[in-house]
Amino acid sequence: MVCAERRASLTGTKAAVAAGLAAVLCLVATACSGPGVAPADTVRIVLPDEPPTLEPCDASLTGTGVVVRSNITEPLIERDPTSGELTPLLATSWSQTAPTTWTFTLRPGVRFSDGTPFDAAAAAFSIDRAVNSSIGCDVQGYVFGDDRLVAEAPDPSTLTVTSPAPDPIMPLRLSFVEMVPPSTAATAQVRQPIGTGPYQVASWDAGTRLALTRNPGYWGSPPGFARAEYQWRSDSSVRAAMVVNGEADIATGIAPEDGAGELGISFPNNETTALRIQATEPPLNDIRVRRAIGLVIDRDGIISALFNGDGAPAAQLVPNGVIGYNSSLRPEPFDPPGAKALVEAARADGVDLSVPIRLIARTGLFPRVAETTQAIQYQLSQLGLNVKIQMMDNAAGLKYQQRPFPERTGPYLLVIQHGNQAGDAAFTVDQYLRGDGYQSSYGTPEFDARIAAAEALSGQARQDALAGLFAREPEEVDQYAYLAHMRGMLARSPRVRYEPNAATGDEMRLAAMSPAG
Amino acid sequence: MLTFLRGRTLSSAIPLLVVLLGVFLLARLTGDPTALYLPESATPAQRAEFASVNGLDQPIWKQLLDYLGGVVRLDLGTSLRTEESAAEMALRAFPVTLSLAVVTMVLAVLGAIVVGSWAAYRPNSMADRVSSFLSMTTASVPDFWFAITGVWILAVVLGVLPTSGTDNGVLSWVLPIATLMIRPLGVLTQVVRGAMVSALSAPYVRLARSKGADSRRVVTHHALRNASAPVLTVAGDLAVSLVNGAVIVETIFGWPGIGKLMIDAILQRDFAVLQAAVLLTAVTIFAMNIAIDIGYALLDARVRDVARV
Repeated sequence: MVCAERRASLTGTKAAVAAGLAAVLCLVATACSGPGVAPADTVRIVLPDEPPTLEPCDASLTGTGVVVRSNITEPLIERDPTSGELTPLLATSWSQTAPTTWTFTLRPGVRFSDGTPFDAAAAAFSIDRAVNSSIGCDVQGYVFGDDRLVAEAPDPSTLTVTSPAPDPIMPLRLSFVEMVPPSTAATAQVRQPIGTGPYQVASWDAGTRLALTRNPGYWGSPPGFARAEYQWRSDSSVRAAMVVNGEADIATGIAPEDGAGELGISFPNNETTALRIQATEPPLNDIRVRRAIGLVIDRDGIISALFNGDGAPAAQLVPNGVIGYNSSLRPEPFDPPGAKALVEAARADGVDLSVPIRLIARTGLFPRVAETTQAIQYQLSQLGLNVKIQMMDNAAGLKYQQRPFPERTGPYLLVIQHGNQAGDAAFTVDQYLRGDGYQSSYGTPEFDARIAAAEALSGQARQDALAGLFAREPEEVDQYAYLAHMRGMLARSPRVRYEPNAATGDEMRLAAMSPAG
Repeated sequence: MLTFLRGRTLSSAIPLLVVLLGVFLLARLTGDPTALYLPESATPAQRAEFASVNGLDQPIWKQLLDYLGGVVRLDLGTSLRTEESAAEMALRAFPVTLSLAVVTMVLAVLGAIVVGSWAAYRPNSMADRVSSFLSMTTASVPDFWFAITGVWILAVVLGVLPTSGTDNGVLSWVLPIATLMIRPLGVLTQVVRGAMVSALSAPYVRLARSKGADSRRVVTHHALRNASAPVLTVAGDLAVSLVNGAVIVETIFGWPGIGKLMIDAILQRDFAVLQAAVLLTAVTIFAMNIAIDIGYALLDARVRDVARV
């Protein structure tokens, strides 16, 4: 009103200028109250990237799972991220009814968000689609490997799943399979799924925003927020600024230096960083050189100076809480003289240490990965090793991380980060320690036999055998120089109540969020 | 004029073709996208099927021919990442970048004309020195630094602008436009100033003044018209380079434009989307260059004369 009155009192050019200024002032005034105002029943989340798809059988992909899992779709069983215990979800109970068969009793009265009843036939369809089909489900390779499962529905509330060989952790594996109705395409992936979860897709404005609304037919308690909106910003400081500025309620993947201040919350994220040593290439094929690399890395210094103290030195690839974690292992000491002695012994035996060694890291793998790589390069150079850094983007780095590895590359060290979200070390040792593991560069037949034996066990015997693998690996293979058990950070608005946990990076449950106050 | 247009079209079409070929070949040199899109333990048969379905098992020359054939049929392929039509994705993103670029260039040119002419009108005055200092500073500031600093000062500290996004109407445009505009404004101000200093000291301007023409008319009708040809040329070059700036602006501010689409496509080895985005951008630049040449010819008869020769 004031703006209009001022305009009316002036004429000609001056009036135009005044009108322009008034318009700017009005806009600024609007801005003061504009950005950051959100409906009270909506939680706004900002992610680093737009989900590539919401296909449930790709939910083991972080970018997809963080939106889909336990929000839109649900599995039969879920794993408590803190205790590691399996708890009922769409299945109320389960048992091993034959050496290769598990039987599940399904929760009655559950419906998909399109009204279709959830029953054993739907569960069998979901498992068959995710595990046995050729539609390229990520969960297939990550969780089930080449195994084919037979899922059958003897009655609407009973599901049987049979594997080719006895599988003591079948329920854990099935906790990765999201349930979808039989109307879901069986021969192609879908971008927007139907599920039984507390939310359903409301709209997906590609490139801009994804909105979920409460599933009115949800079988459990209604979630605290009626609506959830996801946006994505590549720059972590902008994500943090959105929460500080009141434009978002949760921002994931931020670092301490991003400026979230007191709104930043650190949490254990199950990720472990390490150097994978390409042990097939000289001079890295000499175990003394590999051991020297482990001894010359100053883990405490890196964690203190580069991770702001947010992390713990690692002695194995899995953190506490995962079945198979070995609590008796201690990180290798920072021992430059000892490392130097090992290297000199190798040199005396004719090992050529002048060969250039590439230290490869992926940009964005974790906060301050470039600085961490530079610190490691400096420490390795103190050993007299000729190490050159090579930073790569995700796609280029994966060529060195996953089999088949590039040939005739010369020796290289790869900075890796592994997160075991399954809660069982079998998922780690299969990929990272077995000689032909998909992300393993080296092994021995003897150690592979130990892995196979450990994976066939269950209960405490399984825990002890898997823990034993982590203890023996440095002696028999020594493919890794472990760095740190990492922690994640997110920014949380004061208007939201939410406590992140070890699974938050892969599965951010909207139902665990509620309006504060 | 038709001869002029034909010549310019042919000479601009060759770089367009080179760009398309270059992007096609360079994208494939960066590696096989299979590892990004298939499960970690996909079998060799699944990998072979993925390659076959997406034409990645064909020799490069065959893939190139298929691509060029698709361009002719306006079929630019399907995104590996989203399985959407690559052309639709590029066309959806393009107006966002185009609107950013148009607004940026209009404001930059207007601002440069005002500030540059003002500085040239009184050379070596305090106003001239201040405008030269500011224009050189803005031309040198890294845009990503300006963007992040702008977010913190104007959005977080002062709270007068949104940090990012497109939800807040005109306010959403301020920081992205300012970030995109800062370099063109600095460069153009210098160009306008230089051209205007020359024009204002030319004999025809002195003649106009001696005839009693007022200062405003001398600047706007005589000097500015003759100084506009180099400004137009530089503005054209700067408009083309806005695509580079758009990558940064759209990434930082979350604008779903062609720059963000390109960088995502590169990181995800999404060849079809990358090629569609580059094709659309290149064709636009191609058209823009033609338009600039026409404008240049209209402003300067000597250009038309050279084209006729």
